[in-house]
Amino acid sequence: MAEASALKKSLPKINKVDAPYWQAAAAGKLVLQKCRDCGKVQFFPRVACVDCFSGALDWVEAKGAGKIHSFTWVRVPRNPAFKEDAPICYINVMLDEGVIVESRLVGDSKDKVKMGDRVRVVFQETHSPEIKLPMFELMGSPR
Amino acid sequence: MRRKKVCLVSYGSTEYSRKSEESVLTHYANAIRQALERARLHKKEVRGLSITTQASPDFSPHVAEQLGLEVDWVLNGDYGGAGGVMSVRRAADAIECGHLEVAVLVGGNSFDKSVAHQRPLEYQRANYVDVYGYGGPNSLMALIQRLHMENYGTTLEQIGKIAVAQRANAINNPQALFREPMSMQDYLKSRMISDPIRLFDCVMPCSGAECVILASEEKAKKITDKLVYLVTDAEISHYQVADMQPDKTTFGTKVVGERIFSEVRREDIDLLEIYDDYPIAVMIQIEDLGFCKKGDGGKFVDARDLTYNGDFPVNTGGGELSVGQAGLAGGFLHIVEALRQLRGEAEGHQVKQAERALVTGIGWLNYGRNLGTTAAIVIERRQ
Repeated sequence: MAEASALKKSLPKINKVDAPYWQAAAAGKLVLQKCRDCGKVQFFPRVACVDCFSGALDWVEAKGAGKIHSFTWVRVPRNPAFKEDAPICYINVMLDEGVIVESRLVGDSKDKVKMGDRVRVVFQETHSPEIKLPMFELMGSPR
Repeated sequence: MRRKKVCLVSYGSTEYSRKSEESVLTHYANAIRQALERARLHKKEVRGLSITTQASPDFSPHVAEQLGLEVDWVLNGDYGGAGGVMSVRRAADAIECGHLEVAVLVGGNSFDKSVAHQRPLEYQRANYVDVYGYGGPNSLMALIQRLHMENYGTTLEQIGKIAVAQRANAINNPQALFREPMSMQDYLKSRMISDPIRLFDCVMPCSGAECVILASEEKAKKITDKLVYLVTDAEISHYQVADMQPDKTTFGTKVVGERIFSEVRREDIDLLEIYDDYPIAVMIQIEDLGFCKKGDGGKFVDARDLTYNGDFPVNTGGGELSVGQAGLAGGFLHIVEALRQLRGEAEGHQVKQAERALVTGIGWLNYGRNLGTTAAIVIERRQ
């Protein structure tokens, strides 16, 4: 069982809480939760506002831009199915909306990454036709 | 908060192995048996059991049955690397309340392939981290280390000094898997894993178990004349959770330290057993505990001798970095070593003046921030 699943790159197990996020990603949009009561913007998707605990959370579209907050080059991915992609540039991005998201840096110029570099979101196809993963590339990368 | 009437009366450690497929239950039994024998306790006197592991799907009540223990108190001490310290806190609460007199706390790991091991990743790790091909905890700590180096000018040599000093401590510790000397060059040249994290920044997973026995003061006095008291303790889980722009280089240990040092003085601590899944985590905790300013951890370790006979003894048996990490027993290793030191039983790596020790635990690298659980205890030998 473990062996069979290990051969495939990990995909999100979409649940009731985060389904809207993944539907938006499949349509090429990066969305975040925004609290209707206190205005807090948060990520990852949750059932309550992390500030005021309100359950009234709207999905708002992010600009899809931010800067590299930190990064590492993964030589040994946890799931061996990712080995063909290694070294993987695993990143924390500080979105312009003021939230940190974890993701991967892609694109031809990724080797030049530095702290603070501006990045923009791209949506990467996966082996599931329904799922696209938000990743990032350096601004100024050829599209 | 100050504790009055709870003692740590015994400890047990199994051998560590990188290959053994012995069941985790056997490791538990071996560690518990050693701890009982050291305290000359019969297992019928044990009325509480706490289990900390990721290597078995069985919960603590099932394990109590498997070990043949009838108990008044049972706990899954399931708090990642802080599991040891946090279990001590839970057991101390129960003892102070009078629910029981003697509690056995055990943490362990095994490579027993006949038992379902890895629990599934939590939702946020599965859906928002693992999908990007991350490299496990090594990658998440690498993000933190890079920020510390970038923001504060911390050097690899300063971080490496912690790993090198701990190896020097391990040389005379028979339990340690790594006892050959390590130089700064060895550290710097070790293979890159998830940069800036290198091989010698990482712990070696192994199998084994660690056990600690707690007792009420009254019972403790009947068990041993080496009385080691729990003095004060604190924890915080998910520090900065509502902050979407958290400071990744400050752990909840900052809050824990403020609470701890409202009860005892920093200068009265003789030795520190600091949870060391990575050397950078040790440096950050030294800062967060207030031994130096945030960002000055590099300069602090430059100026101090961290070995067991130095002026700031840290991880005196080698820590997880040199002894090995038997899964969540890693959070117990530090408590056991502190206890060994305060009882004067750390042969070959004994701190000369060892009356008071600070032990920390940290666990669960979390989404976008740093650590899920952070905790600490201070224990003290009294004549």
